[in-house]
Amino acid sequence: MAATLIPPDFDSSSSTDSSSSNRGITRSLRVAEIARRKTKAEDPIVAALKYFSKVQAGTPVQGNEELERNLVSVETVAYSKGLSPEAISVMLEFAMSLRMGTSPCARVLKFLLPSTVVPHQAVVRAVVWLCVGKLPITTQVLFIKWVLTVFDMIDAKDNLRAIYGFIFSFVTEENLCPYICHLLYLLTRKECVRLFRVRKLLELQSKLGKQPFLLHLLSLYKVFCPELVTLSLNSRIRAGFKNHHGPWKLALNAIQKRNFVQVSSDLPLALQTKEKAGLRKRKLGQMDLPVLNVVVQSQKQTSYNKMVVPLAHIQSFVQLLENLHLIELPAQMGSLLGSGLALHYLDCVQDESAFLRLNFWLGHALNEEFLFCGHGGASQGSDEVVRFLERLLSTQHFLQEGFSSVEAFLYKFLNVWDGSLLRPQILGLLSNIPVVPSSCINRLLSEPLMQLFFTSTVFFKCGLIESLNGMLAKWLTWHSVYALEDGLDVSLDSPTSMHMSRSGFMQSVVELVRFVGRLASLGLQLEGCHSLLLSFVLDFYDTVCDIFQKYGLPLVVMIPAGVFYPALFAFDPVSVDRLAQIMYRYKMNLTSAKKQEKLTGQAFHISRQTYREFNHYLVFMVNCLWNSKIFQPGDDIELSEELLLRSRVPQYWASFNLIHHPAFHCYAIDFHHKCWPERRDVDLNSIQNSKTWGWYLEYLFTQGFDGLQQFIQSSISFHPSTTDSQDHRP
Amino acid sequence: MSLLRPLSKLPDLNAANVLLVENEEHFQQKLADVMVNEKSVIVQVRLAKSLPLPMKQEKSRPRIDLVVFIVNLMSELSLHSAEASLKHLAPGYFLGKVCFMVTNARNASVPAERMEAVRKLASALNCPLLFAEDQTPDGVTNAAERLLVILRVAAGCVPMTTALFLSNLTRCTISTEAEQQNSDYDA
Amino acid sequence: MDDLKRRLLQRIIRTMPTQMLKTTLSKWARLNIEQQESLDFTQPKFLLTDQLLALCGESGLGVKHITELEMIYIIDNPNQRLWHAYQLLEAGDDAHSVEVTNFKEQFKVHLTELIRHVSIKIKKHTDEAVWIRIAWGDRSSRPNHLKPTYVVHHLQTPYVFVTNLTSKTMPLLSQALVMATRYSSMKDANLSGRNLSAVRDLLMKQFQQVFPSKHLQPLGKKNQINSNPQIEREQDEQSETRLQIACEAFGGGTLPELQKAIYTLETKLKDNTNKIMTEREQPFRCVVTFKSTNILESLRHSAMTGIASTPVTPMLSSISQKGRNHFLITDKGPGPQRKL
Repeated sequence: MAATLIPPDFDSSSSTDSSSSNRGITRSLRVAEIARRKTKAEDPIVAALKYFSKVQAGTPVQGNEELERNLVSVETVAYSKGLSPEAISVMLEFAMSLRMGTSPCARVLKFLLPSTVVPHQAVVRAVVWLCVGKLPITTQVLFIKWVLTVFDMIDAKDNLRAIYGFIFSFVTEENLCPYICHLLYLLTRKECVRLFRVRKLLELQSKLGKQPFLLHLLSLYKVFCPELVTLSLNSRIRAGFKNHHGPWKLALNAIQKRNFVQVSSDLPLALQTKEKAGLRKRKLGQMDLPVLNVVVQSQKQTSYNKMVVPLAHIQSFVQLLENLHLIELPAQMGSLLGSGLALHYLDCVQDESAFLRLNFWLGHALNEEFLFCGHGGASQGSDEVVRFLERLLSTQHFLQEGFSSVEAFLYKFLNVWDGSLLRPQILGLLSNIPVVPSSCINRLLSEPLMQLFFTSTVFFKCGLIESLNGMLAKWLTWHSVYALEDGLDVSLDSPTSMHMSRSGFMQSVVELVRFVGRLASLGLQLEGCHSLLLSFVLDFYDTVCDIFQKYGLPLVVMIPAGVFYPALFAFDPVSVDRLAQIMYRYKMNLTSAKKQEKLTGQAFHISRQTYREFNHYLVFMVNCLWNSKIFQPGDDIELSEELLLRSRVPQYWASFNLIHHPAFHCYAIDFHHKCWPERRDVDLNSIQNSKTWGWYLEYLFTQGFDGLQQFIQSSISFHPSTTDSQDHRP
Repeated sequence: MSLLRPLSKLPDLNAANVLLVENEEHFQQKLADVMVNEKSVIVQVRLAKSLPLPMKQEKSRPRIDLVVFIVNLMSELSLHSAEASLKHLAPGYFLGKVCFMVTNARNASVPAERMEAVRKLASALNCPLLFAEDQTPDGVTNAAERLLVILRVAAGCVPMTTALFLSNLTRCTISTEAEQQNSDYDA
Repeated sequence: MDDLKRRLLQRIIRTMPTQMLKTTLSKWARLNIEQQESLDFTQPKFLLTDQLLALCGESGLGVKHITELEMIYIIDNPNQRLWHAYQLLEAGDDAHSVEVTNFKEQFKVHLTELIRHVSIKIKKHTDEAVWIRIAWGDRSSRPNHLKPTYVVHHLQTPYVFVTNLTSKTMPLLSQALVMATRYSSMKDANLSGRNLSAVRDLLMKQFQQVFPSKHLQPLGKKNQINSNPQIEREQDEQSETRLQIACEAFGGGTLPELQKAIYTLETKLKDNTNKIMTEREQPFRCVVTFKSTNILESLRHSAMTGIASTPVTPMLSSISQKGRNHFLITDKGPGPQRKL
């Protein structure tokens, strides 16, 4: 193998002694001596590699200056530029063959930093040496860790797959097992899954207990061959494989960064995102997406019987379509998040194993970073973490669905969240949670969120309501897209493989809306009907009131009294207007539901109670704004006659009509000025007569109160002389 | 040995008094520095390492509206100290005027049992259990703001609500079902 | 000889951080300016060693000169070694009148009398300390320059700080030192640490000490923090007391940096029913080691915050009060006993 060494460019340093002609004889001798040494040192890597390929077995290590010198020279090159494929071959062979005993072996493994690729032959040979079984166990572990680290840089993995069986045989080695499982996980193809291997793994599992690495490998086997693995596996295994950083990660990154300029000049990297050059990998609490590694690979090399194309080589959408069936996923699944094409691939192929692997990676990364952090979480909220979560969010938006591992992470995280750490990102992730069964909503969402909601500031309250609004909208959209048109059941081919009956879905929605209703009513009470909070709450009911017409779900949930009355008596006209708009939409939904019921004869599950509630609100609203009849017996708000008289408010029954309502009061005054500019004393009651009342309404409508306009036009028989409300009794 | 009583003294006008109890005496100072900046009410912060409080200042001490136990999950001592101090509170405090604040909950070296013990303690006493990030300034500010939300209610500065009502909404609950489910996830 | 020179130089260069190489070499002053300028400090250290060796050969510098370089480096960076303290006992009448040249001469004479193959180098540092480098040989072999012992002694004080001393050479050194300083004996002070000046300060009590008093001294630390009238510490008095007690036990201000405190318990089983164990010659040993970057600060802090109970147990407070960090606790008495 050493015969293929590349001779590095020779230096022309021997010409230096010509300049020292006027110096003394000893001096020039010394210079010559140094120059001689220099040329020897100039070319150390070739000499060193020659040495390592030729060195005899049994050469002593202790006090071997030559070995030390050569090791140092290879080490220097490795850390500065990385080693060429040939050098990797030579050094790996030297180390694994134990030609000079075990002591230099670990040291060599530690500086095996490839500059471009790792030749697969070298790895295969090293595995052969592993099979000889003379290596000490720590070195074996180190070697497998090294393979895992450089896995993406191995030029052809098919030859490694060819010795899958050999690698598999190491599973029984207790210390190696976790690493071997990880390696197998990366190598496994459908044809590798055999019954005897499954049996072996199950046997190991019964011996070692439910180790995550075994479970992951088994679950991958199950994805490929569900008939062989009958074991029921929970899809939410806590952690993925540990990211074995080993001693190489940092040095490798440094080399890649250094070589990046040079590499990028001759290799267009369309897949890489713009910021990639400056990215660092995850290390000690810093979170980042792994770079989608690009292995330099010429076309000639891909002369295998089965051709695969690493995802990293795909540079355009057209290429992606052409090679769709040949794509090979990278070892670090997290790198998919950073690449648009990779996401397209994920989306259209619906490859369950890819999702499985991505979920493992994500679950692990999130857990390590936020739930079980080693350093007290001091560095959190840093740019890298924010960027990571934002990338995750945009991925979820792109795929239009959440990841189950993110969901599982959130349920745990909400239980220990302080409500401020990474708030925008966490609330964003929260709104992407897929439909939760109604039986779990209370435990998974309501309990932690209630506590956070009521003990936090009004801004958190607004944020949470907005996030839950987003969640509801996504659930409804999801339903309207995937619901089968004829059947009642929802079933879909999504990788989350969610199956849920329509009634179950409806229950979940009702549960969510009720929960937000409770938060909103009590929140408004605690915050003194804060108008910002009210606005977010009304946003939510904008979504709720249109469930039937907009999303086709036969469900109407009424706005609770705790929101209705604060909105109706709000000081700002916008809230009242929006409430009117919401009431109008409720009316539209209810009437169309009724029409459809009559048309098809099918019974909807909208109860009489809902209609009754709506009518109750409607009557109150019309009485209050239009008829100037408030505080009637039977209303939700009842005050005794005596008390009202004692308050000495003149015409208290009219104090919340469109003229005297605090929100519209200033409009009434303005209207008064415009109508009777000459009048000094303002008498608002003069608007009350039927002619000016009509003008006043016209005036209000021109001020942009569209909701109010729609509400009045739909609910009140609009004849200027009659001020009578029209009920909608079913 | 004297019990601290919630209603033994008259309240001051527009004032809220909070007692922060922390064995480490570290986070409480940071919280106090932020809390006294509150403008809407006059916040008086009393700091203590543990209960009972010294008798000497009994006279000068105002009515304490809220007692906060700060527990650092990294230290067993912190939890034990809080548990021991609970005995010196009159039962009336547990009607919404006690809360627990936990730090370092997300640290990998915190044993799960200790976390469980704190949850059990809080839920047995029907008290809210807040989590705080004491390492970052943002985390401290947020924790102080959340305590102020509870304090204002406990001191009666928020109309239409009472401490008991709020604590009913925010108290820590643990259900056996939840534990079961959690262990499923961990498998 | 050349080989020794090479290995010695190699070792020195390897231990020295690159950024210190240049200044140390210029301090050494054995190479002329031109030679110093010809050195390329960016090249790998093994190449630099080669170049230095060539220069040494050119200027005719031997092992003696290279040990000088080592000594310069060690004097400037004493904190990379573990220093053990020894105490000289029973000063003679003229012990206080010993001065440097006299001491140098006497020490050399006495030590070479005791052992033939030994190489001694003595240097007086600016802060009144005498630095001695001893390379030991034995009956048949030449002095081993790769494992030298360093001794630091401040004249007119009864303390000696030694690093890298073997039990074999200990009596020799002890005798030579005792003779040269006019004391009658030397004993282990049971104190060791990586920071030489800290070890010295602790022994010579050169740190701020707080003495017990009935009235609380205004330590001023807490009062400053508590400037806001809206914040009141309920247990201020208690914490003041704890602070006072902690400072009494460990000292105030910045404390000398010690890395370890080691307690060894030796006890015998006393059980009439179990004869074999009771009559065992060897006692049972239990070793407790406290480790920290600054053990005294840590202990003081834990006493201050109440993690360690107050009043502080004499076991802990003896570290600063007696200036030692190795303790042997035996059955005979409850207090800390002398270590062997």
